[in-house]
Amino acid sequence: MKLILNHVIKSFDKKEVLRGANFAFEKGKIYGLLGRNGAGKTTLFNCINEDLKIDGGSILLEENGVKREVCPDDIGYVLSTPVVPEFLTGREFLKFFLDINVKKIPDIKPIDEYFDFVKIGSEDRDRLLKDYSHGMRNKMQMLVSFIANPCILLLDEPLTSFDVVVADEMKTLLRQIKKDHIIIFSTHIMELALDLCDEIVILSGGILEKMEKDDLSNEAFKDKIIQALRKDEND
Amino acid sequence: MIETFLMSFRLKNAYQTNGIIYSLKSIPVINRLLPVSLYRSPGLKIFANFVSILWEISSMFLGKMLYLFIIIFLLKDHMKSSPANSFMHMFFFLTITGGFLNTHIFHPTRDKYYAIFLMRMNAREYTLSNYFYFLLKIVVGFLPFTLLLGRLSGVPIVICFLMPLFVVSVKLIFTALALHDYVRTGHAKNENQLNPVALVGIAASLAAAYLPPFLGYAMNGAIFLALFVFSAVIAVFSFFYVLKFREYRSICKELLTADSFAMNKKSMAARAVQKSLQLNIDIKATSSKSGYQYFNDLFVKRHSMLLTKSAKDITLISLAALAFSIMACFLIHGAKPILNGMMLTILPYFLFVMYFVNRGKVITQAMFMNCDHSMLTYRFYRQPRAILLLFTERLKSILLINLMPALVIALGLPLLLWLTGGTNNALNYVLLFVSIIAMSVFFSVHNIVLYYLLQPYNIGLEIKNGTFTIVNSFTYFFCYFAIGKKVPTLVFGTLISVFCIVYIAVSLILAYRLAPKTFKLR
Repeated sequence: MKLILNHVIKSFDKKEVLRGANFAFEKGKIYGLLGRNGAGKTTLFNCINEDLKIDGGSILLEENGVKREVCPDDIGYVLSTPVVPEFLTGREFLKFFLDINVKKIPDIKPIDEYFDFVKIGSEDRDRLLKDYSHGMRNKMQMLVSFIANPCILLLDEPLTSFDVVVADEMKTLLRQIKKDHIIIFSTHIMELALDLCDEIVILSGGILEKMEKDDLSNEAFKDKIIQALRKDEND
Repeated sequence: MIETFLMSFRLKNAYQTNGIIYSLKSIPVINRLLPVSLYRSPGLKIFANFVSILWEISSMFLGKMLYLFIIIFLLKDHMKSSPANSFMHMFFFLTITGGFLNTHIFHPTRDKYYAIFLMRMNAREYTLSNYFYFLLKIVVGFLPFTLLLGRLSGVPIVICFLMPLFVVSVKLIFTALALHDYVRTGHAKNENQLNPVALVGIAASLAAAYLPPFLGYAMNGAIFLALFVFSAVIAVFSFFYVLKFREYRSICKELLTADSFAMNKKSMAARAVQKSLQLNIDIKATSSKSGYQYFNDLFVKRHSMLLTKSAKDITLISLAALAFSIMACFLIHGAKPILNGMMLTILPYFLFVMYFVNRGKVITQAMFMNCDHSMLTYRFYRQPRAILLLFTERLKSILLINLMPALVIALGLPLLLWLTGGTNNALNYVLLFVSIIAMSVFFSVHNIVLYYLLQPYNIGLEIKNGTFTIVNSFTYFFCYFAIGKKVPTLVFGTLISVFCIVYIAVSLILAYRLAPKTFKLR
């Protein structure tokens, strides 16, 4: 399975953010999306998620050689700032989510199993979400994005708010699920990208470019990436 | 100091100007006519600047004119005391009320925050220069109207001239007292959150303003003059105290913390909603439903303090008013024909009542604040099917909540009509009932449809949609102007019922067609 971006164009007023971005993201890999502030990473995610209409080009999903439009159920999108309905408890939010997606989720498990999956303790499961910490809210948001089992996962700076232990748990979790998903992961932290991701893609000057590591050392690879990101300035 | 003032004035003007352009851009048709690079366009900037300055000038005069005209000038004729004395008396005590309410320095506003903390302007110079400008506006703004309305009421011309100065004196005294209080307690008072002392002071001065003249005991010119001289002397000392005070920066720091200034621009209702949202979530509530019904059910129950409780209170008040009217029928001689006549003519008045008792706006604000602003970031929640399912559930809830008080009123009015001697045309009973219910449904539908079609709020519950503001003000004024119009119930009831039914049908069709596209985060 592949997510194929073909000459995607998006501009706001007169500012061109995406200038014909091309890329094929494949299943089984975690892609680290790097770009400078304002380069358009969130815009790109919003376009893939159809929150924004693209001005040109196409975003298609290729399955067994057949191309089709991306539909809402294909995508799980985790925002950098977690937002959850504060008046529900964690358990109620999950119940609601499972209720309305009952037909789409192949094998629904008991709610507590999901909590175990993201390691939310039993004492927290019946507390109101408004009393959850930032990290726990983020786990909830990730959880509902994972449960529906979309084939594409868009993660916008998801690990920055976690403490080191939880961040490590989440990394393990992402590695566990990657074989069935196309995971695109945007971040500003180069070490994280190099550590977790199988491929580094940079968004610079409105286009996507894959960074080949070849047989460079980590340091040399970092320099190469920074050089590539600097290009934006010279444009 | 003048330089600081001019700078702060320019700063305020700059963002007022941008605010005006922003509002213009949010009106649908005009938006399309305006170019993209709007905030840079010199022509529009000049126009908005002009509007902004016009607003500054008109707010200087208009507010004060309305104040004098509505709560003093119009009321003076209902007093037992002479118009001149009543005018002076009310002016005196209401000015004291004003002292409690607004001294300018202790009023947390956004412009102060921007200037002092973001732009790092000198707090003392900024505060003082703006304070003196505030006092100057009082003198200039009040003088024409104390002269005009005062003379029309027969107030001596000397006193008309002194009245604005009296306001300035009172402001100075209250400011000095508040500053002194700050030195004593280390706490700055916040005029958006009045303390009990201030509330008692406001109540007492309001009572002192209206009760004595009503009973025939108003002060005369001599007393007003004596009190003026007395306050003016204290004001001179206060002036020097205010001028020499050094700790304005720390006062501003306490007043202008992020949440106190962020709250400032919002209406009381919005603030109340936000506050009670954070406090009053009823964790014990449960629901046996599933899916969107479960979600909505829990929402309504968890927020019952905010949503259903006030509707219940209104229902009780309506019941009490009804019981009172029924008692009046039997106990007060001659009340029956008056009430009977009212039932047949004052239905327009109930348009305003129904507008007022409808909880729709608060409910939609709560929906946004505590639910939609987070849920709308989830894609499944924005699917047309999800939006419409939840819309239907919410419409049911909002209708039910508002029907509680509406039913009491809708049954009460025909009952009163019947008890006070009835009418020849039985259609009147039906129309009273039907039109009240229709109005209740109308306002419920109106609020939720507007919410779904325009989704006007941002996360601070500020309204970011020009169309929404326009439609809302229009609704308000329309209802307001219905007050006092005496139209036979037969005519008004028929018209309003037909209107409501048509409106409800059209807006629901619109909502079901368009909401999937329009219901989104701004």
